[in-house]
Amino acid sequence: MNKRHSILRRIYDYTFKTFATFFAFLAIFILGAILYEVLKRGSGAINFSFFFHLPKPPGEAGGGIANAIVGSFIVTFIASMIGIPIGVMSGIYSAEFGRGTSFSRYLKFSTEILSSVPSIVIGLFVYAVIVVPMKSFSTIAGALALSIITIPLIHGVTEEMLLMVPNTLREAGLALGVSYPFVVRKICLKSAKIGVITGILTAIARISGETAPLLFTSLNSPFFNFSLLKPMPTANVTIFNYAMSPYDDWRQIAWGASFLITVAILLLTILSRILFKRVKNG
Amino acid sequence: MDSIEGNILSVEKELIHSGEIVSNVELMVKNLSFYYGKTVALKNISFPIYREKVTAIIGPSGCGKSTLLRCFNRIFELYKEQKAEGEIIFRGTNILSRDVNLTMLRSKIGMIFQKPTPFPLSIYDNIAFGMKLYQKMSRSEIRERIEVALRKAALWDEVKDKLLEPATSLSGGQQQRLCIARAIAIEPEVLLMDEPASALDPIATAKIEELIEELSGKYTIVIVTHNMQQAARVSDYTAFLYLGELVEYSDTEKFFTNPKEKKSKEYLTGRFG
Repeated sequence: MNKRHSILRRIYDYTFKTFATFFAFLAIFILGAILYEVLKRGSGAINFSFFFHLPKPPGEAGGGIANAIVGSFIVTFIASMIGIPIGVMSGIYSAEFGRGTSFSRYLKFSTEILSSVPSIVIGLFVYAVIVVPMKSFSTIAGALALSIITIPLIHGVTEEMLLMVPNTLREAGLALGVSYPFVVRKICLKSAKIGVITGILTAIARISGETAPLLFTSLNSPFFNFSLLKPMPTANVTIFNYAMSPYDDWRQIAWGASFLITVAILLLTILSRILFKRVKNG
Repeated sequence: MDSIEGNILSVEKELIHSGEIVSNVELMVKNLSFYYGKTVALKNISFPIYREKVTAIIGPSGCGKSTLLRCFNRIFELYKEQKAEGEIIFRGTNILSRDVNLTMLRSKIGMIFQKPTPFPLSIYDNIAFGMKLYQKMSRSEIRERIEVALRKAALWDEVKDKLLEPATSLSGGQQQRLCIARAIAIEPEVLLMDEPASALDPIATAKIEELIEELSGKYTIVIVTHNMQQAARVSDYTAFLYLGELVEYSDTEKFFTNPKEKKSKEYLTGRFG
């Protein structure tokens, strides 16, 4: 090996490392920039009336998105109530009862495909099968669209967490004479619990940020809505509508809503991270 | 091979004499073969397991000793591609037949695994786990039974003040004794032990061996081990498996001092395995 060769290699190594480091910082910087911008512009909109008042027509000062905040909670909650049991149960089937069967392989494949369907397509699907026949945008349509997004996520994490439970634990349970479903409930799910909860939180965080599937399912409304069958305001769709409007007040509120959603998702993500650390450390 | 056949012949005679249940034979293995898919793991094995004695199954890795043990409580059925053929007679019935109630079978034949398998529950709940299934018991009865089981497993003094702590907080040796207590708590007749000390340090191993000795008067124990000294120390009878075949079965003392088969001699002198 001659000297020139080794100098070249060192230059190459150094450049490579520099690039990697630079882009690592860039990745963090982008997140920082988003948070900074949302914080700066959004925090100005956060005040009492933002949380507790209904939207005002353009031109009138003040007004808030109380209805959309409540609406977001309701839609996300109903979506979770639909998506969690389906995702968890089908995940249990995959990992435990159907393990190794060809049906389970189809199931895995299907959920993988389902998770890669664009959310706007899911919204369109729900529009076609729920909104059109019912002749109305509705809470339930929005919740259904969001729940479809959660199913493959929750299914996947449930299956994964159960597969991490060592088989020796299942054998030890069975060796005591208890039935397999009992072992699954009392031992496997117990071991996998925190991991599954983490996955559920991640899924909820994910749908909290989804707007596309809500645009033609729950739509929006300037009023409070507590009916499953009527259009439902949500913070996300409010951002979509207000941010594009020509009114400064509305754009300000859109930033405020962005701030709110970002903080909520951040908190959910941090919570699930903390839980996940506990899983890893046993 | 005449020792195996001799033994089996005498067992068969006893069978004829005493009707269905043989006086001192707890489990009778008859022409047992085992398959992992199409791979044969056990070939036509027959030997008796005597009541309230310790029978050691030894042999080099991959000889089928764990596989054989896993037939006695049919735990292998968790895996669809595994299949046993032949008979294992326990109290007059072939436990490999389809209509055997697995819950009842496993309540009579308990198992301890190579690695300790504490459930993610408290020490108390680990032992109560199987118990609750078989009998309706009051809380005080359950507590009493748990104490008895823990005492029998020589663990009571170490855990009596922390029964509600997670079982995973115990040391490896304690966890293994907890698993023994858990098996004992449902009052089995047979204890299957699959290399119960191989994951433990020498001191914990000595404790487990001591425990096996203590339990041997009350339970029929079948222990799989790759440690020949351990087999010699704890067992009354020894079955030596090699490549899925039963090479020799005899009295442990006889086996270790005067093995009949050439393969046994070679294994004992460390020429393979």
